[in-house]
Amino acid sequence: MNYTSLFGYLLGEVVLTAAAFVILIADVMCHRKDDVGARNQRMAWWTLTGLFLAAVVYAIQFAQGNANFADGTLVINPLNLFFKEVILVITAITVFFSMEEPVSKHVGEYYAMILFAAIGMAFLVTSENLLMIFVSIELLSLSLYALVGFQKQILRSAEGAMKYFAFGAVSAAFLLFGLSYIYGATNSLSLPAIAETFKGDPLMARSPVLLIGILFTLVGFGFKIAVVPFHLWAPDAYEGAAAPVAGFVASGSKVASFVALTKFLLLGVAPAAGAATISFPFTPHFTPGWAPVIALMAFISMVWGNLAAITQTNLKRLLAYSSVAHAGYILVALFGAKAWGQTAIYFYIIVYALTNLGAFGVVTALANKVGGDDIRCFAGVWRRAPGLTVLMMIFMLSLAGIPPLAGFFGKFYLFAAGLAADQMQLGYLWLVITAILMSAVSFYYYLQVLRVFYVNPASRGGPISICPCQRWPMTVIALIIFLIGWYPTALLDWIQGFLQRV
Amino acid sequence: MMVLAEIAPPTLGLYLGFGALFFGVGLAGVLMRRNVIIILIGVEMMMNAANLNFLAFWHYNPNPSAVMGQMFAIFGITIAGAEAAVGLALVIAVYRHFRGVNVDQMNVLKG
Repeated sequence: MNYTSLFGYLLGEVVLTAAAFVILIADVMCHRKDDVGARNQRMAWWTLTGLFLAAVVYAIQFAQGNANFADGTLVINPLNLFFKEVILVITAITVFFSMEEPVSKHVGEYYAMILFAAIGMAFLVTSENLLMIFVSIELLSLSLYALVGFQKQILRSAEGAMKYFAFGAVSAAFLLFGLSYIYGATNSLSLPAIAETFKGDPLMARSPVLLIGILFTLVGFGFKIAVVPFHLWAPDAYEGAAAPVAGFVASGSKVASFVALTKFLLLGVAPAAGAATISFPFTPHFTPGWAPVIALMAFISMVWGNLAAITQTNLKRLLAYSSVAHAGYILVALFGAKAWGQTAIYFYIIVYALTNLGAFGVVTALANKVGGDDIRCFAGVWRRAPGLTVLMMIFMLSLAGIPPLAGFFGKFYLFAAGLAADQMQLGYLWLVITAILMSAVSFYYYLQVLRVFYVNPASRGGPISICPCQRWPMTVIALIIFLIGWYPTALLDWIQGFLQRV
Repeated sequence: MMVLAEIAPPTLGLYLGFGALFFGVGLAGVLMRRNVIIILIGVEMMMNAANLNFLAFWHYNPNPSAVMGQMFAIFGITIAGAEAAVGLALVIAVYRHFRGVNVDQMNVLKG
């Protein structure tokens, strides 16, 4: 390993770290006397500059070859770089959303924390080593706890952050404990090396130490991706956090965690999958492994997430439960054949993250002007902000999965991958049927939100002016969702191409 | 100590059993106590149990020159410290609103 080349491969993260420190110092040294709004905008532009420079660095790295440092601690390949770019885009959109109104008076710290979280995500998608995965999950989580609790003077924010932290800390302990057992069973930390140990030892896939380790690790990942029963923090944290932060937690952190989980399960411990199939006519077949656990989590997430979303009266909580349900849909594709399942998951997680970010953008732009983020506050917003309501319709219909929007094709690929699982024996048909039924249920609450936006009698007040810093990113997201919906194969071919070059 | 080592020579199983016990005690503290600070202590115990596992697995490893387990334990200790720092900061933020650190008080967000 050569430190100069290591620095070259880490340049993107180095740029982000430097940007975070520059922001912290510049805020204290140069802009102390400006008022909060002006400082907020200046710091936001500093952050965007840092993100742009890092994006350029990653784009240049695409042209260079693949690299693998220190036992998979840092793996550079087109797929990982692509996900780093996605994370930078999500972070940049979050920064645009927080530009109009400062989340708190500690402006520099806010943007530095966002950048630290982005660094955590970038490392999470780029490492194939258990140690590095753990460290980056913690960097990401610790930054997000602080971001959720950033509005110290607001009670909801402090309570949401405390609940997020309590669940997060316990699940981090579970994750660490699980990783220690996996290390003990396989004697290695890098995912390819762990996969290698299965080849020499046919009993490895049944080793109880390994299975306990995987189970505990899944608790940790289950918290990060918010699946039932580890979802309890999500509604409270989303409701307590400022809307841009909630969007960031719901999109960026989900993308990074799903990529890491997919790699962990399909690259590392795939032979220990086991089975939880039900073949026709009703003959259940269970083998111990991670498949029964994932299948159970997917099943209850889809059912509980969708049913609980129906009763919500707060838009952020509704989006939280919808994200629980979506995490369930995504898990279905983990059973697919390796290449197909991976493609479907990567496709859907990008589409889902962008759509959700857009929906939280609408909440950001409107909540303060309509007097809260309860759903009833948005009654008749159609007359006051028509453009934004059209965008909200696109986001909601894409989340519901209505063609020709991107969400439909995303779900189609996920469920197709689930059907193709189990050597085409339709063993996971029961999960796919649940997923399709529950997507139908989800139409009800997505359309309910749109009904309030469009049909319900208008609240008083004139037209709402939306800051261009929020309008343009949301428009771009909606356009991307449309374009992916019309040409889904474009993104699909990209991802498949990247997967072949891994 | 000599006598104890003769009766029960330390084995990997003993260390793992102790780690699991330690983890269980921490988890019980997290689930049963209502004070946030005690919950934090429970989490620290759970993480240290995992660190102990890493060291035990490393020590009984057929190839002790690979120091991955030791490395992981050091990172684990550091991260547990960082987590405690963030946790205590949040405890202060919560205390300012609720005038207490009991989780039963934190029931504003629900549904």
